[in-house]
Amino acid sequence: MNTNLGISSVFNPITQVLPAAGSKPAVSFTDVLGSAVNQVESAQQSAHSAAMDLLANGKGDVHSVALATQRAELSLELFQQVKNKFVQAYQEIMKMPM
Amino acid sequence: MTLDQTGLQLGRFLTYLSQREEVVASNIANADTPGYQTRDLTAPADFSNALTDASAMIEIPALPSRNDGNNVSIDREARLLAETALKFNVTAQMLRSEIKNVRSAIEEGRTS
Amino acid sequence: MSLFNAISISASGMEAQRSRAEIITENLANADTTRTPDGGPYKRKDAVFTTAPLSFSFSEALSSVSSQNQGVAVADVTVDDRDPERRYMPGHPDADADGYVAFPRIDPAEEMVDLMGASRGYQANVAAISSIKDMIARSIDLFR
Repeated sequence: MNTNLGISSVFNPITQVLPAAGSKPAVSFTDVLGSAVNQVESAQQSAHSAAMDLLANGKGDVHSVALATQRAELSLELFQQVKNKFVQAYQEIMKMPM
Repeated sequence: MTLDQTGLQLGRFLTYLSQREEVVASNIANADTPGYQTRDLTAPADFSNALTDASAMIEIPALPSRNDGNNVSIDREARLLAETALKFNVTAQMLRSEIKNVRSAIEEGRTS
Repeated sequence: MSLFNAISISASGMEAQRSRAEIITENLANADTTRTPDGGPYKRKDAVFTTAPLSFSFSEALSSVSSQNQGVAVADVTVDDRDPERRYMPGHPDADADGYVAFPRIDPAEEMVDLMGASRGYQANVAAISSIKDMIARSIDLFR
């Protein structure tokens, strides 16, 4: 079952910029991560504005706000794990004797 | 990559259920209002799109009217009240499981 | 927010049924009242319900579905103007020249049945609020 609740958009910058196998890498880790940060940021913005809408204006539902909040949290957690992996990979590469 | 539909669909179903519960509450509150006609909310054919608007509200044919013109059947409304709340619970539970699964999947990749 | 709106709708139902019950008990209490400040026996009253939009609403924020749902209110309390019931009681202080006393035209059995209806209506609205509160609690659980 496809269960990622709409957070796969965080992956979009990663899959879009990863080059085809065999070609020379054209972007840096920071480009990819930077783009992913923006996605996470916008998910958090959506959650925040949904919450404010509900509390201040009575607009929306509790469950919609809850889901938006969860999406934002999961996006962030996923991003952090991906970032850790990237950093790890980078450190592995730097450790290689040249 | 496509946005996942499952979590969003369940969320929309929750919205539909809460709107239908509101209609049931209105029927119950007006169970003794002269001339009041029972209303209901039709379910959209599928939940992959944004929910429909006011046109989904319908009147129920074939409900007997009493002398004052009111046709609310308290039995029908009581049944719908319980049924809708139950469906809401089940759906919310499914969503919680889904969220938990995604979270576990993320944590599984944890190395630090 | 549909759910919060729904609670207001059910609350209006509770209020209307409670008012109705109050009026009925007033009828019952005055079933034998032969004199009132206006002269004449007590005249029974009836509560008339009507649909009523909710007073508080953030109307811009209401969804198109929510705005079609209405609560209920007591629109009017009508007075039963039928002729009073006349009973032959020559010794009664309120007897007229012919020895008849005018009593309110109230049938306690009919009023009791009506009261039971109001009670059931009240309970149905209470049950609705309970159900809705449960749904809201489940929604809040989604945060955890």
